[in-house]
Amino acid sequence: MAVAPPEKILKDLADLWVTTGKQEAGVEAHGVLRACTMTLIVVTEDRDDPAGLGETIAALMPEHPARTIVIRLTGAGERSICQRVFAQCWMPFGQRRQICCEQVEIACSDASLGDVPSVVLPLTVPDLPAILWCRSPRLLGMAEFPALAAVAHRVVVDSGALADAPVALRRLADEAARGMLLGDLAWTRLTRWRQTLAQVFEDPRHTASLTGDARITVCDAGAVTTQALYMAAWMAGALESVGVRSTVYIRTSTQRIFAELEYGDFHARLESHDGHLTATVDGLSHCTPLPTPNDYLLLREELGIPHADPVFASTLASAAQFAYATD
Amino acid sequence: MPADNPFQDPLRFERRAPPCAVVIFGANGDLTKRKLLPALYRLAYDRRLAPEFAIVGTSRTPLTDDQFRDKMKESVAAFSEDTQLDEEVWKAFAEGLHYVAGDIGDAALFQRIGEKLAHIEEAHQTGGNVLFYLSTQPSQYAQAAQGIGAAGLQHGAGWRRLVVEKPFGHDLASARELSDRLHEVFDESDVYRIDHYLGKETVQNILAFRFGNGIFEPLWNRRYINHVEITAAESIGVEGRGAYYQEAGALADMIQNHLLQVMATIAMEPCASFRATSVRDERSKLLRSVKPMTADEIRQNAVAGQYGPARIGGEDVAGFRQEPGVNPASATDTYAAVTLFVDNWRWAGVPFYVRTGKRLPKRVTEIAIHFNQAPLSMFDGEIADGTPNLLIVRIQPEEGISLKFLSKRPGAGMKLRPVSMDFNYGSSFGERSPSAYETLLLDALLDDATLYTRQDMVEASWTVVEPIQNVWRSDSFDFPNYAAGSWGPAAADVMLARRGHTWRKP
Repeated sequence: MAVAPPEKILKDLADLWVTTGKQEAGVEAHGVLRACTMTLIVVTEDRDDPAGLGETIAALMPEHPARTIVIRLTGAGERSICQRVFAQCWMPFGQRRQICCEQVEIACSDASLGDVPSVVLPLTVPDLPAILWCRSPRLLGMAEFPALAAVAHRVVVDSGALADAPVALRRLADEAARGMLLGDLAWTRLTRWRQTLAQVFEDPRHTASLTGDARITVCDAGAVTTQALYMAAWMAGALESVGVRSTVYIRTSTQRIFAELEYGDFHARLESHDGHLTATVDGLSHCTPLPTPNDYLLLREELGIPHADPVFASTLASAAQFAYATD
Repeated sequence: MPADNPFQDPLRFERRAPPCAVVIFGANGDLTKRKLLPALYRLAYDRRLAPEFAIVGTSRTPLTDDQFRDKMKESVAAFSEDTQLDEEVWKAFAEGLHYVAGDIGDAALFQRIGEKLAHIEEAHQTGGNVLFYLSTQPSQYAQAAQGIGAAGLQHGAGWRRLVVEKPFGHDLASARELSDRLHEVFDESDVYRIDHYLGKETVQNILAFRFGNGIFEPLWNRRYINHVEITAAESIGVEGRGAYYQEAGALADMIQNHLLQVMATIAMEPCASFRATSVRDERSKLLRSVKPMTADEIRQNAVAGQYGPARIGGEDVAGFRQEPGVNPASATDTYAAVTLFVDNWRWAGVPFYVRTGKRLPKRVTEIAIHFNQAPLSMFDGEIADGTPNLLIVRIQPEEGISLKFLSKRPGAGMKLRPVSMDFNYGSSFGERSPSAYETLLLDALLDDATLYTRQDMVEASWTVVEPIQNVWRSDSFDFPNYAAGSWGPAAADVMLARRGHTWRKP
């Protein structure tokens, strides 16, 4: 099948607005409002829960209205590429006008993926950030990844879906060192954990007592994951920023997932169990719900950061160092 | 010793209040039920409050802690506009709810509050941090502050702050006196005068719009702006607040605080940083630059109105004097329109028309910035009214910003027509906006006074409004002078017509 010409897709998008506007004009003449703050490029496997992805994108649009370009990888086979455009609309509660975002869907075989960047580039909305969400973990290993990543300002991956955590982190750190702005959903999953630990240090007594040497222990279930490496690296980095040296232990367990910080008489432990996160500081415990974050919640947070994330960048570099040490 | 929390990640972590207790005076009142508790519950729901957070409610009504919790649960369920009552969240939140009954004039009440706070500090580990919130009758503000002081509650192991609701006095002298009484107990830096208009997302967005973009500020002056309209219209009447309202009036109730603060936000100079002191300094400077008027100038540039009975939508609507609790001969203004000028280089000669009223055709608050016409009209007979560019900042409802400009009409010939470019705040960002009270309460708990009014700002506002009040008190008006459901008295139209302007009908 022939490569879809970008001009054709852009014309389809323009026609889409005219059609949607006319449809609305007949009802109560409040029209439609086009909303766009970015281009969101999603690369996914064709077989990988298309309905779920559609729901995730629809849920993201009210907060992060975007021109969404979904690239569905159809796998091996002949060169083929096809596309369609449609609008994702919603009526905000209490308002009379529909808000719509554009969506372009491109289905292509692996053999045609090399043709896609030249189609996607002219489709990105000018002057607004473009974010590439690599929903398919396979993409990172494909030769076409750099060309597609070059279209975006920021690339969001999920290292948790990659087979070998140390290798994945080193790969990401290398890309970051080459200037790629990265986000990692494995890191995003830690936000609640990190925020809970940070909350402990809102108490000036704890902040004031940060001196000497510390011991960090992170325990993960089954095998060492990128999340465990990130958590340990982040804790060590934060302590180092205030002159506290730390010794890091990363362990695995079949049952417990926890992070522990000890120095002097201070002892804090974060532990997850049965959908809850318990923070125990010097013997006092506090438990909060820890719902499993779905794609919507993770992306919602990541799309809120269309530019550099310095805390993640420095943590990634440190975590990669830990990854070398775990070999 | 590290001063800052090294584990903070401001890019991702939400702002959260530190462990503390909030003492609400007037805990059985309407404001607490309708605004404060729903806002605090929502903060808890969003995990913005520390787990150790506690509330001590106090009022004259005898209640146990459990009765108070039940009442507050009802209020949260009834008045949380877009938040469902989550039993799990409520259960944890309610554990921190306490109640102390007593009269503000009774020193024993403050002793009991002190004992309760000591208990909470021990049990909840609040570190001695306390925010006192005065949600009482304004006449009790000073008394409550004095009671806090006499019991020594203004000092403790942690910080102590005081939030005061408007009105901040009823004239300049009383505003100063109130401040003096509060300062006997609290430093000015610990006094948070709340003006909920400043907590609205779109009022904050004015700052983002003006100072986050480079293209508007060069036009934001007398060379390009012809005049500015600020409108806060309400379609409802006094709704059972007749007794209070007839003592205040539209000028004091709305313009002295809310609308002058909005005007200050629109007209202030850029500040060097977005720190509380810098922003408030600029707002204060602007208010102090408002040109004082003589009595004769006030009669030309200020219009008072009062609504009379009318039939709206097939229903008879009472006039103000027929409202329950209102004196049948009341001379209170339910409508006020004022033309103000700012004596500085940026705004000299630009009229700021500020109006507010009850029983107007619709509920709307907006700022309309009228730009000058193009210097030369090169398109023959382009449009009848020579429509200039207009920038509308809508504060409520349907918050957003619209820019009106001329565009060529499709087809042969060069015919122009005005079109509107809209940014709709609520729909471009579908995320729920926090209520003004959520924003402001969290700010106070985090020691961020940017959106709170400072003593000098209050005094500057009264300096603008008091002379108008004095003239209106000395003059007699033929009230009612506008029908409920209309856009106000004809005199307000005449006031603008003198300068060749007309009010927008938003």
